[in-house]
This record gives sequence, C-alpha cells and structure tokens, in this order.
Amino acid sequence: MTAIGSVILIEDDAQIRHFVKEALAAEGWKVFEADTGSRGLIEAGARKPDLLVVDLGLPDMDGVEVVRDFRNWSTVPILILSARSEEQEKIFALDAGADDYLTKPFGIGELLARVRAVTRRRLQGSETSPKLCFDDVEVDFSRHSVMRGGIPVHLTPLEYRLLGVLLANAGKIMSHRRLMQEVWGPNHTESAHYLRIYMSHLRQKLEADPTQPAHLLTETGVGYRFEP
Amino acid sequence: MPGNADTRQKVRHYLAAILVCALTAIVATPLRLVLDLANIIMLFLLVVFLVALKLGRGPAVMSAFLAVALFDFFFVPPRLTFAVADVQYLVTFAVMLAVGLATAHLTATLSKQSAVAIARELHTRHLYELARDLAGAATHEQVSQVLSRYMAGSGHSAALHLLDAAGELPSLFSDVPLASLAHMAIRQGSFVETTQLNDNGGHTLVLPLQSPIEVRGVMVAVVNSDDAVDHRQFETVANLVAIAVERLHYVEVAQQTQLEATAERLRSSVLSSLSHDLRTPLTGLVGMADALALAAAHQNDAIHHAATAIRDQAHAMSRLVANLLDMARLHAGKVELRKDWRLFEDVIGSALKLLKPSLAQHPVKVVLDAGLPLVQFDDVLLERVLCNLLENGAKYSQPGQAIEIRGFVLGDHACISVQDHGPGFPLEQLESLFHMFVRGKHESAIPGVGLGLAICRAIVEAHNGTIQASNPEQGGACVTLCLPLGNPPAIEPESLP
Repeated sequence: MTAIGSVILIEDDAQIRHFVKEALAAEGWKVFEADTGSRGLIEAGARKPDLLVVDLGLPDMDGVEVVRDFRNWSTVPILILSARSEEQEKIFALDAGADDYLTKPFGIGELLARVRAVTRRRLQGSETSPKLCFDDVEVDFSRHSVMRGGIPVHLTPLEYRLLGVLLANAGKIMSHRRLMQEVWGPNHTESAHYLRIYMSHLRQKLEADPTQPAHLLTETGVGYRFEP
Repeated sequence: MPGNADTRQKVRHYLAAILVCALTAIVATPLRLVLDLANIIMLFLLVVFLVALKLGRGPAVMSAFLAVALFDFFFVPPRLTFAVADVQYLVTFAVMLAVGLATAHLTATLSKQSAVAIARELHTRHLYELARDLAGAATHEQVSQVLSRYMAGSGHSAALHLLDAAGELPSLFSDVPLASLAHMAIRQGSFVETTQLNDNGGHTLVLPLQSPIEVRGVMVAVVNSDDAVDHRQFETVANLVAIAVERLHYVEVAQQTQLEATAERLRSSVLSSLSHDLRTPLTGLVGMADALALAAAHQNDAIHHAATAIRDQAHAMSRLVANLLDMARLHAGKVELRKDWRLFEDVIGSALKLLKPSLAQHPVKVVLDAGLPLVQFDDVLLERVLCNLLENGAKYSQPGQAIEIRGFVLGDHACISVQDHGPGFPLEQLESLFHMFVRGKHESAIPGVGLGLAICRAIVEAHNGTIQASNPEQGGACVTLCLPLGNPPAIEPESLP
C-alpha cells in the first residue's frame, strides 16, 4: 500500500505512541515518531509532513508552544492529544493554530475519524460542490437555500452564515472565539451567548431531536463541531 | 520639694543681680572722672541687659530700678544723696528706667521663647525617634517595647491592647473596668480620661488606635504627673502606634496570602501531575485494547470480547480518576468556576454524547420547557454533574428502562432533573447519599465508590444552587438540581433584510 502521506507523532509515552503509530500505519500513513517537543520540531522541519499529532503534556516544552512554533512556517493540519481537565489548554492550542483535539483516553475509531476530518480537504483537494446533505437536510450554497425533507427552511442571515462556517469546516472543532469572529466579526468575540442562542435555533430548525443533536455538536468548554 | 529648689534659685538670682549692680557702681565710681555721666548710664543699661539675659525677668526689673537709684546716689550731683540739683536729671532717670525695663522685658521674653523652642525640638526629636523605631518594628512585642521606652523617657508608661478578629480585647478580659473604658474609647473614636483607676493619683488615658482603615485596639497611657496633660501629644503617639499596628496587620495578611497561594500552586501541580500520570497508562490501555479488538474482530470472538471489555473498563476507570481528581479540587475549595451565560441543551446534548456507549441500553427522553433562559454556569463542571447522574441512572436500572431528563424553570431557579425507572433510592438515605463515599447499597454488585453524587453536590453548591434526591410516585430515582436564574444578558434581535 502506498503511503497516503507522512505524519509526525510527538508523544512522550511509548505505549500511546505505539498504538497511535500502528493505527495510523494501518490507514496508510507513514509515521515518524518523536518523544520530545524539540525533537518533533526538528523532525517536522526535515520530513515536511502532511499531518502533525502533538501531545499537550510534553516533558521538555508545552505542546501549545510546539503548535505555535510549527504554525509559523506550515499550514499542515495539527491534531492535539490532551487529558480531560484541560479545556483552557485546548482553547489555547486551537487559538495557537491547532485544527482539532482528541481527549485522552481515546479509541482508535475516534482517532482515525479525527485524522480523516482534519486532513480531508488537504488530501482530497478543495471540494467545490455547492451542495451538502446530512440526514434529510440539503444545503445548496449556490442558491442560498436550505431544504429539510424537501421543504424550504427559513434561516436568518446570521443563522445561514453560522451554518456555512460549520459546514465548511465539517468534522473539525470550531472554538467559540473563532465562530464568533467568522460569523459576527472581530469585535464580538466576547459575547459567546449569542453563539449559543443561534446554535440552538439551528438545531431547532435542522436537527431531528434538538436536545440530542446528531450533527451540530457541542464540545463542552471549547466550541462546536459539525459532524456530517 | 521641687518648689523649694525653685525659690532658692530665684533668691540667688536676685542676690546676684544686686551684687552685679553694686559692683558696677564701685567700678564706675573712679571712672566718673574720665567718663561723661551719659556713658555711665550706658554701663548701667548694659548691666540690666546682661541680667535680663542671664537671670530672667524679675531680677532684671529689680536691677533697672536699682541702677537708677545707684546712679542717682553715687553719680548725680550732689553725690551721695538722692537729691537732684538739676531738674533735667529727672528726665534722664525716667528714660533710663524705661529703657531698662523694656530691655529686661524683651530679653527675658526672647530667652523664654528660645527655651520653649528647644523643649519643643526635643519633643519632636523624641517623636521622630519613636516613629523611626516603630517603622522598624516587626512584631507587636517590638511595637510595645518601643512605646514603653518612649513613654519611660517622659516618666509615663503605656500598654497596648489589640482587638482580635471578633472585635474583643483578649488582653483585657481580666480587667473589666478598663475593658469597658477601652470599648467606650473605640466607640467614640476619641480618648477617654480617668483618675479612678490609678491609686497614686495619676491620670489614665485610654486612646483608640485609629488607623486610616479601622480601629485596631487601644493604647492605655498612665500619666505620672500633676501637670495638665497634653492630650495632643498622646494622641500623636497613639496615631503613630496605630499606623505601625496597621502595617503589621497587612504584613501578616500578605504573608498569609502568599502562603495560601504557594499551597494552592503546590496542590494543583500535584493534582495535574497525578492526573497526567494516571491518565497516560489508561490511554495506552484503551488504545491497545481497541487495537486488539479490531485485529480480532473477524477471527476470534473471545479475544474480541475480552479486548472490548478491557477497553470499556479502562474508560470507566478513567472516569473514576476524573471524579476523584475533581473531588480533590472541589474539596480544596479553590475551583475557579468558568461561569458564562449558557443553555442547558448544550451540556445535556454533550453529556449524552459522551455517555453514548453506557446509555446504549437505555432509551433517553429529553424534555426541555420552551424558552428556557440563559443560565450562568460552568459548562465543564455541569457536564460532569449530568454525566454522573446519567451514569447512575444507567447503572441502577435494568436495560430497556428509560431515563428521562427534564429542564424547567421553578420560581427563580432553572432546574434539570434526571430520572430513571430503577428501584429508587433507599428512603432512609435520601440526604446522606450526597455525602462522600456513601452508597445506596453497601458492597453491592454495582461498581462505584460513592463519589458521583458528592461531586454533583459540590459542583451545584459552588454555583449557589441546590440538589435533591427523591423517589417519584411513578417509581425510579430522581435527582433535581436547581441553579439561580439571575439576569441574563439581552439578545438583540437580528435585523432582517
């Protein structure tokens, strides 16, 4: 099987490194390992990878620092591995340029799903399909229309813009800050309660059961994610 | 007797003045052949001036009169009589007396003023030294010592009595009359004076230690003299002491704060490294079991089953670790709530998603009242509460039995209830269930250590909310948590195109 791309895996625990490597290799990735942040950055500079997987708790430096450093010269997707009680750290990492995170402990299914989500666009080229479907909902960006079960759904301009941003980043975590910035503009990043209200509206209009959403998901403490 | 010594000194001064005047007359007698009478007068005036300078006002006034008399007797012709040949000498006497008296008065006043100035300077210097020593005092004992030394310098004594946290004066418990005076002084905000408390006739002054922020105690000064007491002086001293005590108080506060901050840093670093060290092997366990389960998925059912079980157990262990660490954090009482205005549906949805594997056997029904307001809470912590409640629901009911979540407003609280259809809570334990390590059934087959509900209560109470367990009529167990509503921020409606 030819490699679908190369990945640098920066993780200090050998066991975790091992199973992540095995799982990614089985998917067709060529995996380079590093057990410290500085080692990982050197590897990244040398290998020019297609994906970076970084643990937040590294022995030599903060994972957020690794992300920031790497982001200075690369736009390659970054996936964070982090322990649960670290919501603030996750937000820092996302703000520093990480694309998504996995909460420890995680299964292989979750790992591969996240990797696919953050690398989807890069590997498949930018999809330009103007239509996107999930469940019985059909969003047609070329005609600015949203249909549910064949019936048009009315969205306000902000709701439509919020849906558009989430769909454009399908599968990826979007922090509150980033969503506020992209939908409401750079001056509104502090009033996240607007975002919550509008997400609620979108769920009412598009989810089969708004209280147990299947697509417009809450990532507690961090943001939202659209899962196709 | 001090009065006696004073009198003797005065008498000596008068005698000296007489002597000096007489000497002048004797010295001037031979000179009268050489000098004009006008210059003799100058000599006498000089003597009056010197007497005023050295011996004070009384002797000077006396020597002014004496000088006029001696001049008249010994120098003005006809000599050796008080008779005056030329009437114009009367003018001379008058001028001489006037100048003498004026000189005496001015000089004596000046020297008295300078004596007062010197005394005041000395007093100021003592106060300055007191202030300097107080500034260097590092303990209350040192403040007391400095104060006693200063008071002893002026023949008095003083003691400090400081208020404790309850507003009492612990050092005066055995001295009721003084304690009541002290409280009176503190209430009035000014000194209280009494002669009752002192057997040998001295005054006792009780002065409040009024610092810029608050009253810190009293200074009790015992004044050992009959002189009129200069209250201002004592008040100044009390102010200086109050500032020193205030400074010590804030030094203590700062040290305490620093200590607490250090302890807190230590605690959170221990917790976070513990969290990392416990989670890392669990992550490896979950991942490797998962890999094993995947590899065996189509070949070996037994291995697949075992690997899946290992993974699920590791997940359960991880949640237990999370609960334990959260409890440790909450118990330290220093959890910083990341409160914001949020919706219940967000946390309910994410908790259900997180527990999807555990809840696979149970249909979940969520009923949220329409138009639930924004509520202020920490979403990560409230998600933990809901996860614990849902996990309990799943653990304590049979597969297939439904779990219901309700969101509603009750009075000025927004509430969430989680209800299962299991056997319900043991009635006698409805309250103690929320205590740490208490479980409905001891050592039952259902895994758990009795932390879940204790954490729920700690989190909800940190939000100023309440949590209650009940067994509803239709069966099952129900836990209801209520958070205060507050004033949610207004949402401006979107201007439609």
